[in-house]
Amino acid sequence: MADAAGRVIRRTEYILLAATAILFVVGLMAGDTFFFRLATESLIFGGLALAVDLLLGIVGLLSLGQALYFGFGAYVSALLLKEVAPSFWLATGAVLAASAVVGYLSSFIALRSKGVYFALITFGLAQVAAKTVYNTRELGASDGIIGIPIVVIGTPFGGLDTANAPVFFLVTLGVIALLYGLTKYLLATPMGGIWHAVRANEARLPFIGFDTLGPKRAAFTLAAMIAAVSGALYPMLRGFVSPELLYFSTSGNAVVTVVLGGVGTLIGPLFGSALLTGLRSVIGTWTEHHQILIGLIFVAVVVLAPRGIVGIAIERAKRRAGEQI
Amino acid sequence: MNEPAASPILRASGLSIHFGALRAVDDVSFDVPRGGITSIIGPNGAGKSTLFNLLSGSLKPSAGAVRFDGTDITALPPARRLRRGLARSFQITNLFFELPVRENLRLACQYYEPRVKLWLPVARNTRAADRTEQLLESFGLGKRAATPAGALSHGEQRRLEIAVTLASQPKLLLLDEPTQGMSHGDTADTEKLIAALARDTTVLLIEHDVDLVMGLSNRVIVMAQGRKLTEGTPAQVRGNAEVQAAYFGDKP
Ligand SMILES: Nc1ncnc2c1ncn2[C@@H]1O[C@H](COP(=O)(O)OP(=O)(O)OP(=O)(O)O)[C@@H](O)[C@H]1O
Ligand SMILES: [Mg+2]
Repeated sequence: MADAAGRVIRRTEYILLAATAILFVVGLMAGDTFFFRLATESLIFGGLALAVDLLLGIVGLLSLGQALYFGFGAYVSALLLKEVAPSFWLATGAVLAASAVVGYLSSFIALRSKGVYFALITFGLAQVAAKTVYNTRELGASDGIIGIPIVVIGTPFGGLDTANAPVFFLVTLGVIALLYGLTKYLLATPMGGIWHAVRANEARLPFIGFDTLGPKRAAFTLAAMIAAVSGALYPMLRGFVSPELLYFSTSGNAVVTVVLGGVGTLIGPLFGSALLTGLRSVIGTWTEHHQILIGLIFVAVVVLAPRGIVGIAIERAKRRAGEQI
Repeated sequence: MNEPAASPILRASGLSIHFGALRAVDDVSFDVPRGGITSIIGPNGAGKSTLFNLLSGSLKPSAGAVRFDGTDITALPPARRLRRGLARSFQITNLFFELPVRENLRLACQYYEPRVKLWLPVARNTRAADRTEQLLESFGLGKRAATPAGALSHGEQRRLEIAVTLASQPKLLLLDEPTQGMSHGDTADTEKLIAALARDTTVLLIEHDVDLVMGLSNRVIVMAQGRKLTEGTPAQVRGNAEVQAAYFGDKP
């Protein structure tokens, strides 16, 4: 990536980190649990948006069904925590492994097609999964799974109680930071270069020696894993899971988050998620119809700033540095 | 096992493809001897680029076979053909336009690294990096390394197109009208470049500029309406009456 873009992304990372630290201290002093739970939720959905951005912003694949993997992670985690053992490591480890398998297998279906058809297939797969969960009694049908026990995370330094809002916020921050760091690392490898090249001109890649299906499959699987691990944290925060997690509204919101934050920037989606979660909560206090407002904001962003918040910052930095955009 | 040096690097036998009723390439057979420059000429729509598509694997022939370096590659996909040493450039510039020039080349040079290194940081792929800098230098694109390929001038893009194709040091280089749209100066430079390339590798060249072809080539294949009209040395081709009529007809 060009220098100016890298600098802006680095700066956004610092700003987010500083804001998190300040708000963390403020929240602790205020003793406000609600705030921490909201921030945790924004991180969890930020993880889902990160997965969407990996596909859309880097590889150029619009997934309209990423909630499938998010919901998969949430349900597997909920079932394990409730039925097997309330173990953080068991739940996240199992979700990581299972989502790798599910992501890889479903890539064979989703990557049969490109462009709009890819978007439709991912949408369709998620709809089928959502309806199946909705109609499966063993999974709690429309009620979902409730009564997930409180999880105490065993670490060499003692137990971390996920019911303690600030503690679980830090745990979630750690997990999402790991997912972000891993994705960013991969983008700095030749495989990341191939992913960018797929978006730029997929047809040329075979003529420099790369088959494109393999790298696309790898990205698709990785995005499934990122979404699923993020989803695995959800039942620990809320104590329940429901079929809505797999609905199109969840997938669609993730796409909105990515576009608002800045497509292809990775940090933008995390930023966008914080903004949207905060906004939804504020607007939610004075109107039921917050989705309408979110929709209006989305339209405004697409029309006025299609590159999103971080995208605008990058564009301006490039212009200042005299780089070609 | 390589075949003895005397055997052709490439053999096309009875290659055909049609699009509906149009026989774009119709029963074309020829050998490309090792070393030097073999050129393909022919009027617009003769099927030259389509023939390249068959040789490089973009299209599957409806009949016929392609042998490369002693093996039948007719069924191989393009990426596998490249890894065997057959590279092609495109008549219509075909680059990663959004990516910087250096990245365009680096991806093409990744060929030199083992597969596992795909997952290691770019900086650890030192052979690819060295080769990239070498190409930037020798193609005079060093100053433009950080510029997106799409922002280059037409001439620079054509040069990058050749550099990307050359990155893997192929045994056979298919160049589809590399000088298309170039200025006189750039065309002359490219002519020299192709002549230099042909010292280390075999070049199969599609070119409109007949004077350039006749001066540069060891062998010339003439195509018209999907068929091979004739082939031979430049002098033989010039003397061919059929070619005179079909191709040089407008020239005294
Ligand atoms: N994919 C395709 N589908 C249908 N027709 C095609 C296709 N590709 C090429 N053709 C047709 O096949 C014929 C040969 O085209 P081709 O591009 O090979 O000619 P060419 O010799 O390279 O010409 P030029 O000198 O203009 O580049 C043309 O009539 C062209 O319109
Ligand atoms: Mg052509």
